[in-house]
Amino acid sequence: MREITIGQYIPGNSAIHRLDPRTKILITFAFMILLFVIDDFTGYVFPVAFIIAASILSGISVRYMVRGLRPLLVIILLTFILNLFLIKGRVIYEIGPLSITYEGLYQGTFMVLRLVLLIVGTSLLTLTTSPITLTDGIESLLKPFSKIGVPAHELAMMMTIALRFIPTLMEETDKIMKAQMARGADFSSGNIIKRAKSVVPILVPLFISAFRRADELAMAMESRCYRGGENRTRMKKLQMTWEDLAAFIATGVLAAGCLASRFLW
Amino acid sequence: MERKALSTLIEGALMIAIATILSFIKPYQAPFGGSVTLGSMVPILLYSMRNGAAKGILAGVAYGLLQLVIEPYIVHPVQVILDYPLAFGLLGLSGLFGKRIVAGVTVGILGRFLSHFLSGVIFFESNAPEGMNVLFYSAAYNGSYLLPELVISLLAVRFVFYRFICRDRDRSFSN
Repeated sequence: MREITIGQYIPGNSAIHRLDPRTKILITFAFMILLFVIDDFTGYVFPVAFIIAASILSGISVRYMVRGLRPLLVIILLTFILNLFLIKGRVIYEIGPLSITYEGLYQGTFMVLRLVLLIVGTSLLTLTTSPITLTDGIESLLKPFSKIGVPAHELAMMMTIALRFIPTLMEETDKIMKAQMARGADFSSGNIIKRAKSVVPILVPLFISAFRRADELAMAMESRCYRGGENRTRMKKLQMTWEDLAAFIATGVLAAGCLASRFLW
Repeated sequence: MERKALSTLIEGALMIAIATILSFIKPYQAPFGGSVTLGSMVPILLYSMRNGAAKGILAGVAYGLLQLVIEPYIVHPVQVILDYPLAFGLLGLSGLFGKRIVAGVTVGILGRFLSHFLSGVIFFESNAPEGMNVLFYSAAYNGSYLLPELVISLLAVRFVFYRFICRDRDRSFSN
Protein backbone atom coordinates (compact mmCIF):
# COMPACT_ATOMS: atom_id res chain seq x y z
CA MET A 1 0.00 0.00 0.00
CA ARG A 2 2.97 2.29 0.38
CA GLU A 3 4.47 4.61 -2.13
CA ILE A 4 1.40 5.30 -4.17
CA THR A 5 1.81 8.62 -5.87
CA ILE A 6 -1.52 10.31 -6.07
CA GLY A 7 -2.41 11.51 -9.52
CA GLN A 8 -0.27 11.53 -12.60
CA TYR A 9 1.37 14.88 -12.09
CA ILE A 10 4.96 15.24 -13.24
CA PRO A 11 6.51 18.32 -11.62
CA GLY A 12 8.13 20.80 -13.93
CA ASN A 13 8.40 24.44 -14.79
CA SER A 14 7.52 24.49 -18.47
CA ALA A 15 5.27 27.02 -20.13
CA ILE A 16 2.42 24.50 -19.92
CA HIS A 17 3.09 23.78 -16.24
CA ARG A 18 3.00 27.49 -15.51
CA LEU A 19 -0.36 28.11 -17.15
CA ASP A 20 -3.23 28.98 -14.86
CA PRO A 21 -5.21 25.81 -14.01
CA ARG A 22 -8.40 27.54 -15.13
CA THR A 23 -6.87 28.16 -18.53
CA LYS A 24 -5.86 24.53 -18.82
CA ILE A 25 -9.24 23.17 -17.72
CA LEU A 26 -11.15 25.44 -20.09
CA ILE A 27 -8.84 24.70 -23.01
CA THR A 28 -8.99 20.96 -22.37
CA PHE A 29 -12.76 21.10 -22.38
CA ALA A 30 -12.81 23.17 -25.57
CA PHE A 31 -10.34 20.74 -27.13
CA MET A 32 -12.57 17.77 -26.31
CA ILE A 33 -15.61 19.38 -27.85
CA LEU A 34 -13.70 20.55 -30.93
CA LEU A 35 -12.57 16.98 -31.59
CA PHE A 36 -16.21 16.08 -32.06
CA VAL A 37 -16.73 18.91 -34.53
CA ILE A 38 -14.21 17.43 -36.95
CA ASP A 39 -15.77 15.15 -39.53
CA ASP A 40 -12.93 14.08 -41.81
CA PHE A 41 -9.25 13.29 -41.63
CA THR A 42 -7.99 16.63 -42.91
CA GLY A 43 -9.57 18.31 -39.90
CA TYR A 44 -7.27 16.35 -37.58
CA VAL A 45 -4.32 18.42 -38.80
CA PHE A 46 -5.24 21.12 -36.27
CA PRO A 47 -5.62 19.11 -33.05
CA VAL A 48 -2.58 17.02 -33.95
CA ALA A 49 -0.47 20.14 -34.42
CA PHE A 50 -1.93 21.59 -31.22
CA ILE A 51 -1.09 18.50 -29.19
CA ILE A 52 2.41 18.21 -30.62
CA ALA A 53 3.12 21.86 -29.86
CA ALA A 54 1.73 21.55 -26.32
CA SER A 55 3.71 18.36 -25.68
CA ILE A 56 6.96 19.90 -26.85
CA LEU A 57 6.32 22.97 -24.71
CA SER A 58 5.46 20.87 -21.67
CA GLY A 59 8.76 18.98 -21.85
CA ILE A 60 7.01 15.75 -20.89
CA SER A 61 8.40 12.70 -22.61
CA VAL A 62 6.21 10.81 -25.05
CA ARG A 63 6.68 7.75 -22.86
CA TYR A 64 4.39 9.15 -20.17
CA MET A 65 1.69 10.01 -22.65
CA VAL A 66 1.81 6.56 -24.22
CA ARG A 67 1.58 5.11 -20.73
CA GLY A 68 -1.66 7.04 -20.29
CA LEU A 69 -3.07 5.21 -23.31
CA ARG A 70 -2.39 1.78 -21.91
CA PRO A 71 -5.42 1.42 -19.59
CA LEU A 72 -7.63 2.50 -22.47
CA LEU A 73 -6.14 0.10 -24.98
CA VAL A 74 -9.11 -2.25 -24.75
CA ILE A 75 -11.64 0.43 -25.56
CA ILE A 76 -9.48 1.74 -28.41
CA LEU A 77 -9.12 -1.73 -29.92
CA LEU A 78 -12.80 -2.51 -29.42
CA THR A 79 -13.82 0.70 -31.14
CA PHE A 80 -11.56 -0.14 -34.06
CA ILE A 81 -12.70 -3.74 -34.40
CA LEU A 82 -16.41 -2.95 -34.10
CA ASN A 83 -16.18 -0.32 -36.78
CA LEU A 84 -13.94 -2.47 -38.95
CA PHE A 85 -16.29 -5.43 -39.11
CA LEU A 86 -19.76 -4.03 -38.61
CA ILE A 87 -19.86 -1.28 -41.19
CA LYS A 88 -21.24 -2.40 -44.53
CA GLY A 89 -19.68 -1.27 -47.76
CA ARG A 90 -17.05 -2.22 -50.31
CA VAL A 91 -15.39 -5.42 -49.12
CA ILE A 92 -11.60 -5.45 -48.99
CA TYR A 93 -10.97 -8.71 -47.22
CA GLU A 94 -13.01 -11.58 -45.86
CA ILE A 95 -12.31 -13.77 -42.83
CA GLY A 96 -14.98 -16.44 -42.65
CA PRO A 97 -18.31 -14.77 -42.00
CA LEU A 98 -16.68 -11.43 -41.21
CA SER A 99 -15.73 -8.94 -43.82
CA ILE A 100 -13.56 -5.87 -43.63
CA THR A 101 -14.89 -3.04 -45.68
CA TYR A 102 -13.25 0.08 -46.97
CA GLU A 103 -15.79 2.19 -45.10
CA GLY A 104 -15.20 0.21 -41.92
CA LEU A 105 -11.46 0.72 -42.12
CA TYR A 106 -11.95 4.42 -42.72
CA GLN A 107 -14.47 4.87 -39.91
CA GLY A 108 -12.47 2.71 -37.48
CA THR A 109 -9.27 4.63 -38.03
CA PHE A 110 -11.14 7.91 -37.77
CA MET A 111 -12.71 6.98 -34.42
CA VAL A 112 -9.48 5.59 -33.00
CA LEU A 113 -7.59 8.73 -33.93
CA ARG A 114 -10.23 10.81 -32.17
CA LEU A 115 -10.06 8.68 -29.04
CA VAL A 116 -6.26 8.78 -28.95
CA LEU A 117 -6.23 12.56 -29.36
CA LEU A 118 -8.86 12.89 -26.64
CA ILE A 119 -6.90 10.77 -24.21
CA VAL A 120 -3.54 12.37 -24.94
CA GLY A 121 -5.06 15.85 -24.77
CA THR A 122 -6.71 15.28 -21.41
CA SER A 123 -3.73 13.47 -19.94
CA LEU A 124 -1.60 16.48 -20.82
CA LEU A 125 -3.75 18.38 -18.33
CA THR A 126 -3.25 15.94 -15.46
CA LEU A 127 0.42 15.43 -16.28
CA THR A 128 1.21 19.11 -16.00
CA THR A 129 -1.15 20.16 -13.19
CA SER A 130 -1.07 18.83 -9.65
CA PRO A 131 -4.36 17.60 -8.15
CA ILE A 132 -4.38 20.44 -5.64
CA THR A 133 -3.90 23.07 -8.33
CA LEU A 134 -6.65 21.47 -10.37
CA THR A 135 -8.92 21.65 -7.33
CA ASP A 136 -8.16 25.36 -6.98
CA GLY A 137 -8.98 25.79 -10.64
CA ILE A 138 -12.27 23.92 -10.28
CA GLU A 139 -13.24 26.05 -7.29
CA SER A 140 -12.48 29.25 -9.14
CA LEU A 141 -14.39 28.14 -12.24
CA LEU A 142 -17.42 27.08 -10.17
CA LYS A 143 -17.45 30.30 -8.15
CA PRO A 144 -19.80 32.20 -10.51
CA PHE A 145 -22.34 29.40 -10.03
CA SER A 146 -22.40 29.81 -6.26
CA LYS A 147 -25.04 32.50 -6.85
CA ILE A 148 -27.41 29.80 -8.05
CA GLY A 149 -26.60 27.57 -5.12
CA VAL A 150 -23.55 25.58 -6.21
CA PRO A 151 -21.46 25.25 -3.05
CA ALA A 152 -18.17 25.80 -4.89
CA HIS A 153 -16.10 26.55 -1.82
CA GLU A 154 -17.38 23.61 0.23
CA LEU A 155 -16.78 21.28 -2.70
CA ALA A 156 -13.21 22.43 -3.16
CA MET A 157 -12.57 22.48 0.58
CA MET A 158 -13.61 18.84 0.84
CA MET A 159 -11.39 17.89 -2.09
CA THR A 160 -8.45 19.81 -0.66
CA ILE A 161 -8.75 18.30 2.81
CA ALA A 162 -9.23 14.85 1.29
CA LEU A 163 -6.10 15.25 -0.81
CA ARG A 164 -4.16 16.45 2.20
CA PHE A 165 -5.29 13.52 4.32
CA ILE A 166 -4.96 10.66 1.86
CA PRO A 167 -1.27 10.11 2.74
CA THR A 168 -1.98 10.61 6.46
CA LEU A 169 -4.79 8.09 6.48
CA MET A 170 -2.72 5.64 4.47
CA GLU A 171 -0.02 5.86 7.08
CA GLU A 172 -2.64 5.38 9.73
CA THR A 173 -3.98 2.29 7.93
CA ASP A 174 -0.48 0.94 7.96
CA LYS A 175 -0.13 1.56 11.67
CA ILE A 176 -3.46 -0.10 12.43
CA MET A 177 -2.45 -3.09 10.31
CA LYS A 178 0.78 -3.46 12.23
CA ALA A 179 -1.01 -3.07 15.55
CA GLN A 180 -3.49 -5.79 14.60
CA MET A 181 -0.69 -8.02 13.34
CA ALA A 182 1.04 -7.61 16.70
CA ARG A 183 -2.17 -8.94 18.21
CA GLY A 184 -2.00 -11.94 15.94
CA ALA A 185 -4.14 -10.81 13.02
CA ASP A 186 -3.47 -12.58 9.75
CA PHE A 187 -4.16 -10.64 6.55
CA SER A 188 -2.45 -12.72 3.94
CA SER A 189 -3.80 -16.25 4.14
CA GLY A 190 -7.12 -18.00 3.76
CA ASN A 191 -9.80 -17.83 1.10
CA ILE A 192 -11.40 -14.66 -0.21
CA ILE A 193 -14.13 -14.54 2.46
CA LYS A 194 -11.61 -14.98 5.23
CA ARG A 195 -9.45 -12.24 3.81
CA ALA A 196 -12.38 -9.88 3.40
CA LYS A 197 -13.28 -10.50 7.03
CA SER A 198 -9.73 -9.78 8.10
CA VAL A 199 -10.09 -6.25 6.70
CA VAL A 200 -12.82 -5.40 9.21
CA PRO A 201 -10.44 -4.85 12.18
CA ILE A 202 -8.56 -2.36 10.02
CA LEU A 203 -11.50 -0.42 8.66
CA VAL A 204 -13.42 0.07 11.88
CA PRO A 205 -10.58 1.83 13.75
CA LEU A 206 -9.83 3.80 10.59
CA PHE A 207 -13.37 5.15 10.44
CA ILE A 208 -13.51 5.89 14.14
CA SER A 209 -10.25 7.80 14.00
CA ALA A 210 -11.50 9.69 10.94
CA PHE A 211 -14.64 10.79 12.82
CA ARG A 212 -12.56 11.92 15.75
CA ARG A 213 -10.08 13.68 13.52
CA ALA A 214 -12.95 15.54 11.84
CA ASP A 215 -13.99 16.98 15.20
CA GLU A 216 -10.45 17.95 16.10
CA LEU A 217 -9.78 19.52 12.75
CA ALA A 218 -13.04 21.46 12.93
CA MET A 219 -11.98 22.84 16.29
CA ALA A 220 -8.53 23.73 15.00
CA MET A 221 -9.96 25.50 11.98
CA GLU A 222 -12.51 27.33 14.04
CA SER A 223 -9.85 28.55 16.47
CA ARG A 224 -8.05 29.97 13.46
CA CYS A 225 -11.21 31.82 12.52
CA TYR A 226 -12.22 29.75 9.52
CA ARG A 227 -15.67 30.93 8.56
CA GLY A 228 -16.40 29.36 5.21
CA GLY A 229 -15.57 30.65 1.77
CA GLU A 230 -16.90 34.15 2.00
CA ASN A 231 -14.25 36.88 1.98
CA ARG A 232 -11.56 34.29 2.37
CA THR A 233 -8.21 35.34 0.95
CA ARG A 234 -5.53 33.09 -0.48
CA MET A 235 -1.81 32.91 -0.07
CA LYS A 236 -1.31 31.86 -3.67
CA LYS A 237 -3.76 33.72 -5.80
CA LEU A 238 -4.49 32.37 -9.23
CA GLN A 239 -3.25 34.86 -11.76
CA MET A 240 -3.53 34.83 -15.52
CA THR A 241 -0.53 36.09 -17.46
CA TRP A 242 0.33 36.76 -21.08
CA GLU A 243 1.14 33.06 -21.39
CA ASP A 244 -2.49 32.26 -20.68
CA LEU A 245 -3.54 34.79 -23.27
CA ALA A 246 -1.22 33.12 -25.79
CA ALA A 247 -2.73 29.74 -24.91
CA PHE A 248 -6.25 31.07 -25.48
CA ILE A 249 -5.21 32.57 -28.82
CA ALA A 250 -3.72 29.23 -29.87
CA THR A 251 -6.98 27.54 -28.88
CA GLY A 252 -8.88 30.14 -30.90
CA VAL A 253 -6.81 29.21 -33.95
CA LEU A 254 -7.50 25.53 -33.26
CA ALA A 255 -11.23 26.22 -32.99
CA ALA A 256 -11.24 28.23 -36.22
CA GLY A 257 -9.38 25.44 -37.98
CA CYS A 258 -11.69 22.70 -36.74
CA LEU A 259 -14.83 24.67 -37.60
CA ALA A 260 -13.47 25.60 -41.03
CA SER A 261 -12.61 21.97 -41.76
CA ARG A 262 -16.18 21.00 -41.05
CA PHE A 263 -18.19 23.77 -42.56
CA LEU A 264 -16.03 25.32 -45.29
CA TRP A 265 -14.08 22.51 -46.93
CA MET B 1 -19.63 28.64 9.56
CA GLU B 2 -21.19 26.80 12.44
CA ARG B 3 -19.02 24.30 14.25
CA LYS B 4 -21.33 21.40 13.60
CA ALA B 5 -21.53 22.18 9.90
CA LEU B 6 -17.78 22.53 9.69
CA SER B 7 -17.20 19.26 11.45
CA THR B 8 -19.67 17.56 9.07
CA LEU B 9 -17.85 19.07 6.09
CA ILE B 10 -14.51 17.77 7.32
CA GLU B 11 -16.00 14.39 8.10
CA GLY B 12 -17.08 14.31 4.45
CA ALA B 13 -13.56 15.20 3.36
CA LEU B 14 -12.06 12.40 5.42
CA MET B 15 -14.66 9.93 4.13
CA ILE B 16 -13.63 10.96 0.61
CA ALA B 17 -10.01 10.35 1.56
CA ILE B 18 -10.82 6.85 2.85
CA ALA B 19 -12.94 6.16 -0.24
CA THR B 20 -10.04 7.20 -2.44
CA ILE B 21 -7.64 4.95 -0.56
CA LEU B 22 -10.09 2.03 -0.86
CA SER B 23 -10.49 2.75 -4.56
CA PHE B 24 -6.78 2.04 -5.04
CA ILE B 25 -7.34 -1.54 -3.91
CA LYS B 26 -8.83 -3.32 -6.89
CA PRO B 27 -9.42 -7.06 -6.71
CA TYR B 28 -10.92 -6.82 -10.19
CA GLN B 29 -10.34 -4.18 -12.86
CA ALA B 30 -12.89 -4.06 -15.67
CA PRO B 31 -11.52 -3.18 -19.09
CA PHE B 32 -13.07 0.28 -19.50
CA GLY B 33 -12.21 1.91 -16.23
CA GLY B 34 -14.81 0.37 -13.97
CA SER B 35 -13.54 -1.83 -11.20
CA VAL B 36 -14.56 -3.82 -8.20
CA THR B 37 -12.87 -2.22 -5.22
CA LEU B 38 -12.70 -2.98 -1.56
CA GLY B 39 -16.03 -1.26 -0.96
CA SER B 40 -14.79 2.17 -1.95
CA MET B 41 -18.35 3.50 -2.00
CA VAL B 42 -19.00 2.57 1.61
CA PRO B 43 -17.58 5.80 3.13
CA ILE B 44 -19.75 7.97 0.89
CA LEU B 45 -22.86 5.83 1.48
CA LEU B 46 -22.22 5.89 5.19
CA TYR B 47 -21.70 9.64 5.20
CA SER B 48 -24.97 10.18 3.30
CA MET B 49 -26.89 7.99 5.70
CA ARG B 50 -25.40 9.82 8.66
CA ASN B 51 -25.90 13.32 7.36
CA GLY B 52 -28.71 13.18 4.85
CA ALA B 53 -28.96 13.16 1.08
CA ALA B 54 -28.05 16.81 0.41
CA LYS B 55 -24.71 16.59 2.19
CA GLY B 56 -24.20 13.11 0.81
CA ILE B 57 -24.64 14.32 -2.76
CA LEU B 58 -22.18 17.15 -2.16
CA ALA B 59 -19.59 14.72 -0.80
CA GLY B 60 -20.28 12.35 -3.67
CA VAL B 61 -19.72 15.10 -6.23
CA ALA B 62 -16.48 16.09 -4.48
CA TYR B 63 -15.38 12.44 -4.48
CA GLY B 64 -16.23 12.12 -8.17
CA LEU B 65 -14.29 15.26 -9.04
CA LEU B 66 -11.35 13.99 -7.01
CA GLN B 67 -11.41 10.70 -8.90
CA LEU B 68 -11.44 12.73 -12.09
CA VAL B 69 -8.45 14.76 -10.95
CA ILE B 70 -6.49 11.74 -9.74
CA GLU B 71 -7.31 8.98 -12.18
CA PRO B 72 -9.14 10.37 -15.16
CA TYR B 73 -10.65 8.08 -17.73
CA ILE B 74 -11.89 10.41 -20.39
CA VAL B 75 -13.31 9.29 -23.71
CA HIS B 76 -16.12 11.75 -24.38
CA PRO B 77 -17.05 15.27 -23.16
CA VAL B 78 -20.47 14.23 -21.86
CA GLN B 79 -19.08 11.02 -20.40
CA VAL B 80 -16.80 13.07 -18.12
CA ILE B 81 -19.77 14.67 -16.38
CA LEU B 82 -21.85 11.50 -16.22
CA ASP B 83 -19.08 9.18 -15.05
CA TYR B 84 -17.58 11.42 -12.41
CA PRO B 85 -19.45 14.17 -10.57
CA LEU B 86 -22.93 12.91 -11.43
CA ALA B 87 -22.39 9.18 -10.93
CA PHE B 88 -20.73 9.59 -7.56
CA GLY B 89 -23.06 12.43 -6.57
CA LEU B 90 -26.04 10.12 -7.01
CA LEU B 91 -24.55 7.83 -4.36
CA GLY B 92 -25.74 10.50 -1.95
CA LEU B 93 -29.33 9.45 -2.64
CA SER B 94 -28.73 6.73 -0.09
CA GLY B 95 -29.25 9.45 2.52
CA LEU B 96 -32.94 9.63 1.67
CA PHE B 97 -33.74 6.43 3.50
CA GLY B 98 -32.48 7.11 6.97
CA LYS B 99 -31.59 3.87 8.69
CA ARG B 100 -33.18 1.65 6.07
CA ILE B 101 -29.79 0.61 4.82
CA VAL B 102 -30.75 -1.98 2.24
CA ALA B 103 -32.94 0.57 0.47
CA GLY B 104 -30.36 3.33 0.92
CA VAL B 105 -27.36 1.43 -0.36
CA THR B 106 -29.31 -0.09 -3.24
CA VAL B 107 -30.78 3.20 -4.41
CA GLY B 108 -27.45 5.01 -4.09
CA ILE B 109 -25.62 2.44 -6.16
CA LEU B 110 -28.52 2.20 -8.58
CA GLY B 111 -28.16 5.95 -9.11
CA ARG B 112 -24.50 5.51 -9.87
CA PHE B 113 -25.31 2.62 -12.20
CA LEU B 114 -27.84 4.68 -14.16
CA SER B 115 -25.34 7.47 -14.66
CA HIS B 116 -22.62 5.10 -15.90
CA PHE B 117 -25.20 3.28 -18.01
CA LEU B 118 -26.26 6.49 -19.74
CA SER B 119 -22.64 7.45 -20.24
CA GLY B 120 -21.92 4.08 -21.84
CA VAL B 121 -24.87 4.48 -24.18
CA ILE B 122 -23.73 7.94 -25.22
CA PHE B 123 -20.18 6.77 -25.77
CA PHE B 124 -21.18 3.83 -27.93
CA GLU B 125 -23.72 5.88 -29.86
CA SER B 126 -20.92 8.20 -30.95
CA ASN B 127 -18.19 5.60 -31.46
CA ALA B 128 -19.70 2.32 -32.51
CA PRO B 129 -21.48 1.59 -35.76
CA GLU B 130 -25.26 1.56 -35.96
CA GLY B 131 -27.26 -1.51 -35.17
CA MET B 132 -25.45 -2.58 -32.04
CA ASN B 133 -27.44 -3.40 -28.98
CA VAL B 134 -25.95 -0.51 -27.06
CA LEU B 135 -28.40 -0.59 -24.17
CA PHE B 136 -27.67 -4.19 -23.40
CA TYR B 137 -23.89 -3.86 -23.57
CA SER B 138 -23.78 -0.79 -21.39
CA ALA B 139 -26.03 -2.37 -18.78
CA ALA B 140 -24.08 -5.62 -18.81
CA TYR B 141 -20.71 -3.92 -18.63
CA ASN B 142 -21.57 -1.53 -15.83
CA GLY B 143 -23.50 -4.18 -13.98
CA SER B 144 -20.51 -6.51 -14.13
CA TYR B 145 -18.54 -4.48 -11.62
CA LEU B 146 -21.30 -2.58 -9.80
CA LEU B 147 -23.23 -5.70 -8.82
CA PRO B 148 -20.31 -7.18 -6.84
CA GLU B 149 -19.70 -3.71 -5.41
CA LEU B 150 -23.34 -3.57 -4.34
CA VAL B 151 -23.03 -6.88 -2.52
CA ILE B 152 -19.78 -5.81 -0.83
CA SER B 153 -21.25 -2.45 0.18
CA LEU B 154 -24.46 -3.99 1.53
CA LEU B 155 -22.58 -6.51 3.62
CA ALA B 156 -20.12 -3.90 4.87
CA VAL B 157 -22.75 -1.33 5.80
CA ARG B 158 -25.10 -3.84 7.36
CA PHE B 159 -22.65 -5.93 9.36
CA VAL B 160 -19.69 -3.66 9.98
CA PHE B 161 -20.70 -0.03 9.92
CA TYR B 162 -24.32 -0.10 11.00
CA ARG B 163 -23.53 1.45 14.37
CA PHE B 164 -21.99 4.50 12.73
CA ILE B 165 -25.25 5.44 11.08
CA CYS B 166 -26.84 6.19 14.42
CA ARG B 167 -25.09 9.50 14.65
CA ASP B 168 -23.39 10.55 17.88
CA ARG B 169 -23.18 7.03 19.12
CA ASP B 170 -19.75 6.83 17.57
CA ARG B 171 -18.59 9.58 19.89
CA SER B 172 -18.60 7.02 22.66
CA PHE B 173 -16.10 5.03 20.66
CA SER B 174 -13.75 7.88 20.29
CA ASN B 175 -11.98 7.80 23.59
